[in-house]
Amino acid sequence: MSYIEIQCGDVLSSVIFIIEGELEQLPQRSAIEEHISSCLPCTAEIAHERAMHDLLQETLRRTCNERAPEDLHEALHRQLRAQMAGATEVVTQFSMTEISIEIDEFGNIEHREIQIEQTHIQHFIDQDNDETR
Amino acid sequence: MTSKDLVLESAADRTIRFERDALAFTDQLYAAALRYTKNPEDARDLVQDTYLKAFTSFHQFEEGTNLRAWLYRVLTTTFINTYRKDQRRPQIAQAELEDWQVAEAQSHTSDLGKSAEVEALENLPDSDIKKALQEIPEEFRMVVYLADVEGFSYKEIAEIVGIPAGTVMSRLSRGRKQLREKLAAYAKELGYSVETSKKAVAKAALEKGDKS
Repeated sequence: MSYIEIQCGDVLSSVIFIIEGELEQLPQRSAIEEHISSCLPCTAEIAHERAMHDLLQETLRRTCNERAPEDLHEALHRQLRAQMAGATEVVTQFSMTEISIEIDEFGNIEHREIQIEQTHIQHFIDQDNDETR
Repeated sequence: MTSKDLVLESAADRTIRFERDALAFTDQLYAAALRYTKNPEDARDLVQDTYLKAFTSFHQFEEGTNLRAWLYRVLTTTFINTYRKDQRRPQIAQAELEDWQVAEAQSHTSDLGKSAEVEALENLPDSDIKKALQEIPEEFRMVVYLADVEGFSYKEIAEIVGIPAGTVMSRLSRGRKQLREKLAAYAKELGYSVETSKKAVAKAALEKGDKS
């Protein structure tokens, strides 16, 4: 078993991986965990980092919650309708009938018809349609 | 039912599905666009462009996969391609992936420093939080916003922004650090002005007392 000596600095520079729960990505994972378990300052630092991370997240979420102006909502619906109306659709239809007639040795006639149909629809939406702006 | 009816119905259905599922994210995308562009007019345009592009390629979107992440990818790509003010601005060096850990703080914070930081975050007004977020570099702002406000995983962010997962980690780490430094600096300023205003209030009270 190889042993890598881990210093506080190594732990602190990997804090992001610890916070994000992605420590397993690092090759020195077990050495870091071992160091933390026996280093009080590192344990305190990580607890602080976690608390700050949670607090920062909470603060950002509380702050960045603007709602789109009502006229933007309306403009988007109008834009969508206009896009749909301006959409060009090309329909390619293909159909064929396969007919087979078999006459056996007793003179019985067997007649089969198979119809194959295929429809292909392609949508072209006008990207430059910005009359709703 | 003729084939023409079929065609019309499918386009209409798709529009209804888009209106119902995708337009539900307008508020969220607008808030993100505000962080990206830093102003309401551009944010508006960016959201409109995003939905224009998203609808055009909506048939490529697989139902059942993450629509929200897909819309954020369209938003972010549209922003990077069209709204970035200075296209020729040098990007963060590729070397950041290899050397970023070295640049991180390697010493322990004092308890005093820790409690001051918590206090700062708890007391800062919203306007200062937004200002700090605006002031950190765009590459950092995007990933911090996507991770900490929108709650995307770093793997999802790598997809949305179109960068390797390791780069997301490094930008996230640096971005949060810079953000915290800025917030701490504002709090210091605010603390100072709180002190000053307390003195001013006390002085005013004293003068008022003199008059009566």
